[in-house]
Amino acid sequence: MPVPHNRNRSRSAFRLVGILFLVLTATVLLLRAGDNPGVHVPSYVEWTPETIATASSGDAFRGLLLSRHCEHCHGAEGFSQKADTPNLAGMDRLAIWKQLQDFRAGKRVSFPMNPIAQSLSTKDVADVVAYYAKLPVFYDPDDHRAFPEPAPDPVRKGVAWRLINFGDGERGIPPCQACHGPVAYRPGAPALLTQNGPYLLEQLEAFANDKRANDINEAMRTIAQLLTDDERHALAEYYGAGLGMNPGSAVAPR
Amino acid sequence: MNWRKIRTFLITLFVLLLIPATRFYQIDEPILRMFRNPRRVDPFSLHVEGEFVESNLGTEQNSDGSVTVRMIAQQYLFIPHCILVPAGVPVHLRITSPDAVHSLAFLGTDYNVKVTPGAISVAEMQLPRAGEYKTACREFCGAGHYAMRSVVKVVPQEQFPVLQPGERGACAAQ
Ligand code: HEC
Ligand code: HEC
Ligand SMILES: [Cu+2]
Repeated sequence: MPVPHNRNRSRSAFRLVGILFLVLTATVLLLRAGDNPGVHVPSYVEWTPETIATASSGDAFRGLLLSRHCEHCHGAEGFSQKADTPNLAGMDRLAIWKQLQDFRAGKRVSFPMNPIAQSLSTKDVADVVAYYAKLPVFYDPDDHRAFPEPAPDPVRKGVAWRLINFGDGERGIPPCQACHGPVAYRPGAPALLTQNGPYLLEQLEAFANDKRANDINEAMRTIAQLLTDDERHALAEYYGAGLGMNPGSAVAPR
Repeated sequence: MNWRKIRTFLITLFVLLLIPATRFYQIDEPILRMFRNPRRVDPFSLHVEGEFVESNLGTEQNSDGSVTVRMIAQQYLFIPHCILVPAGVPVHLRITSPDAVHSLAFLGTDYNVKVTPGAISVAEMQLPRAGEYKTACREFCGAGHYAMRSVVKVVPQEQFPVLQPGERGACAAQ
């Protein structure tokens, strides 16, 4: 009668496999825990050609339907009524796609935007981004938008103009237009020319004190920290007044 | 059922699962690393994994008294923007780029390190005198190239914060 004998041995085989499995799990957990302690990953977005292809693959018509959920805050024409909510009309797709990915992953923290972005699928994000990128930026007096705001005084205007066009070589501040356009665009850098001033100021301050830390390789945090408080105000007011745009595009004809 | 068959089945299953699991959990990373070029990095994922993640940048104290400085040169910034190093101590510089070819030139000295995306440039240097060095990019890299500058603060050894091996010093803490 070999049955009890067999059952014993098969039980020990089970035990052997069980122990092996536990050892493997423990090793994996230990290796993974010991691998990168306290690494702050600013964003999971990597600007590989595949990422750029995914981010640009949206269907603008489907985006139009989805944008119904965004209108209330970001405006029917992509220009918001409140100056601390960003305008999305005509923004580069890659830039707002990245922000939505970061909102989804919790890499950029915003009370309204985190749950809203998490309710969108990967495809939804590409679609809605394609729609907003196509929206025109011309002036519409019937749209109760906050943009543009009154221009800053000439001294501040001059400070901002110099930083945008030339930066400050002595302090190592590159010109804003070298990454944010219109001179050159870095992937993921939003156009600032039609953005609301108070929103820009909020973001620059958040970058400067590390409250917003989703910029890749610390680029904007470094720049915002190098700017003085006055310069941050001047830059936000300059952009928020629609200065630097082609005359007559999104600004009321004067 | 024969226990032998069960055992063979279970062990085969275990081994078969082990192979994808090692790849999935990247247990084989240390072994694969030995066959990779150690000077190679993926320029797109510097901020996500590897040597140049944010918390790893700056001046690191080594156990032999020397320091390792890790930097990123990107259009149009050096990260970190300010580097703190002790005077007269061997400095191992490791620098890479996510976008274009740059260089890190220490103004007023002979040091000029060329930085190429996808590769880690290394340099051994020693800055004997305390003081503030300006650095600049000497390889045309685009619209903001001329503003691509940063600072290296060389402090006497007694002013450099006492760090345990692996700890990092920063200008801000000074
Ligand atoms: C409840 C109001 C509200 C709604 C609805 C809303 N947003 Fe927002 N959104 C905001 C606010 C406020 C911010 C600024 C976040 C911050 O301060 O960090 C923002 C920021 C953003 C940004 C970042 C812009 C930038 O330049 O960085 C994007 C992109 C965005 N929203 C897209 C959307 C989309 C797409 C929808 C619809 C699916 C949507 N939002 C719906 C309030 C809203
Ligand atoms: C090195 C390139 C670079 C330069 C130069 C640069 N920026 Fe940026 N900026 C970026 C990138 C990239 C982002 C997107 C950050 C992210 O991924 O979240 C950004 C984001 C911003 C934002 C947030 C916008 C939004 O809608 O969320 C503001 C505000 C900003 N930059 C202002 C400035 C100002 C003002 C200057 C000039 C002093 C400047 N930037 C110069 C690369 C740059
Ligand atoms: Cu350069």
